[in-house]
Amino acid sequence: MDFFIQQFCNGLTTGGIYALIALGYTMVYGVMKLINFAHGELFTLGAFLGYLLLVTLGLAGAVGPALGLALSIVTVSGLVAAAGHLLERVAYRPLRNSDRLAAVVSALGASIFLQNAIMIVWGSQYRAYSARLLPAVSLDVLGQPIPLIRILVFAAAAALMLLLWLFINRTRTGLAIRAAAIDQGAARLMGIDVSRVIAVVFVIGPALGGLAGLMAGLLYGQINFNMGQLYGLKAFTAAIIGGIGNIQGAMIGGLLLGLLESLGAAYVSVAWKDAITFVVLIMILVVRPTGLLPERVAEKL
Amino acid sequence: MLEITDLRVAYGGVEALHGISLKVEEGELVTILGANGAGKTTTLMAVSGLVRPRTGEIRFNGERLDSLPSHEVVARGVTQAPEGRRVFGPMTVEENLRLGAFTRKGPVPPRLLRRVFELFPRLEERRGQMAGTLSGGEQQMLAIGRALMAEPKLLLLDEPSLGLAPLLVRSIFETVKNINRSGVTVVLVEQNARAALKLAGRGYVLDVGRLVLEDLSVNLLNNPQVKDAYLGG
Repeated sequence: MDFFIQQFCNGLTTGGIYALIALGYTMVYGVMKLINFAHGELFTLGAFLGYLLLVTLGLAGAVGPALGLALSIVTVSGLVAAAGHLLERVAYRPLRNSDRLAAVVSALGASIFLQNAIMIVWGSQYRAYSARLLPAVSLDVLGQPIPLIRILVFAAAAALMLLLWLFINRTRTGLAIRAAAIDQGAARLMGIDVSRVIAVVFVIGPALGGLAGLMAGLLYGQINFNMGQLYGLKAFTAAIIGGIGNIQGAMIGGLLLGLLESLGAAYVSVAWKDAITFVVLIMILVVRPTGLLPERVAEKL
Repeated sequence: MLEITDLRVAYGGVEALHGISLKVEEGELVTILGANGAGKTTTLMAVSGLVRPRTGEIRFNGERLDSLPSHEVVARGVTQAPEGRRVFGPMTVEENLRLGAFTRKGPVPPRLLRRVFELFPRLEERRGQMAGTLSGGEQQMLAIGRALMAEPKLLLLDEPSLGLAPLLVRSIFETVKNINRSGVTVVLVEQNARAALKLAGRGYVLDVGRLVLEDLSVNLLNNPQVKDAYLGG
């Protein structure tokens, strides 16, 4: 039982990170029907910007861990959001009215470009977040000691998801995003500026993805220029599990995938950890390709 | 109020409208008739700014609409209930209506919702229900109600009778007449030519992207050509 609680908490934390990345895929897909293949690289960028602030510049040491983290969160989300906005302007907006395939190729190109740019700046070797950034204490959860960082990461992921949920369901812009995801043409007939909606989505998604990168760096301690590939693929799987285009689905899919992976690694085999993800992806695509929460209810004509 | 001059629209390399011109005066109810593929929907989509004309002008109260983005067209008081209704299925009836008032700044005044509910009491009964679960007729009411939420000066209706039972068609057309009487100019695109001509003051007839006839409705109803082709002999 103790082992289970440990693994369950691990799964929730990893799942929170997957969910944050998955939200970026699903929001962009919802509005543009495009998979933003460069999204995993925005996650990597977040991890490296966090590294720059916390390790290279020693922010946490200079102002204390709490303030250092807070400043990193604000800076990383802001800078990655700006990068996402730029990405949309350069790689996607010029292709808005062209063939879907052209946008996909552009997305793949942007992904390769970003990955290599990060490699040129930070090099190809692993970089380590130092272990002493945060006090190495554990908190008691159901009788089990859980490291503070895991709890913080999960709490931050949960808080961000709650904020996003409120934004999507309680604000005017959120309503516009939902409408544009359901029927872009009808949304335009309502007077919604869909270009603006897309710009907003390309700010929120990357901000969340960048923060997930920072969290992954803090949680696992080491980062690498191509870490976004595997994380991206897993988060994409999470988005598919939840039903791509569906925001709640991405949250649930991310947490579910994190749990599956963690419990699978614990009770089946660590060697199968990544394989489990892709078995799940294939099974979902075969059995229920619309995901657990399909975006579209059948509409009567 | 609305003036379209020599409008040409192409999808890819295929021209769907080969230069049509038409005029709608304030307060009128005008119908555009024609078979499938005649270019009726394309005409409305060009006015709403969802397709870009290749050449030609669309003016609304003198101002060019054809180069404005679609949300600017709505902001100027031109709204549309599109073909196939296109309600937001996974949203409630009320959310759909509120989206109709999206171009308004600030909260939606209750009188707008009240007006729509007066025209379509069924929508009030179902205001919390998902739009995708409504019947076809109710979805059509919602599409029209939603288009009224922006308090349009010009309302474009694309085939509101499509797929509805005759009794419902009559009731919807009755409501359209009332909307027009309340001061909203209406352009009604229809395949149900007889019903549309009985409602409208004037009509235009499109045939494969060309304007072939324009006249008062009474004259079109008695025009042998129209009788033959659109009124079933």
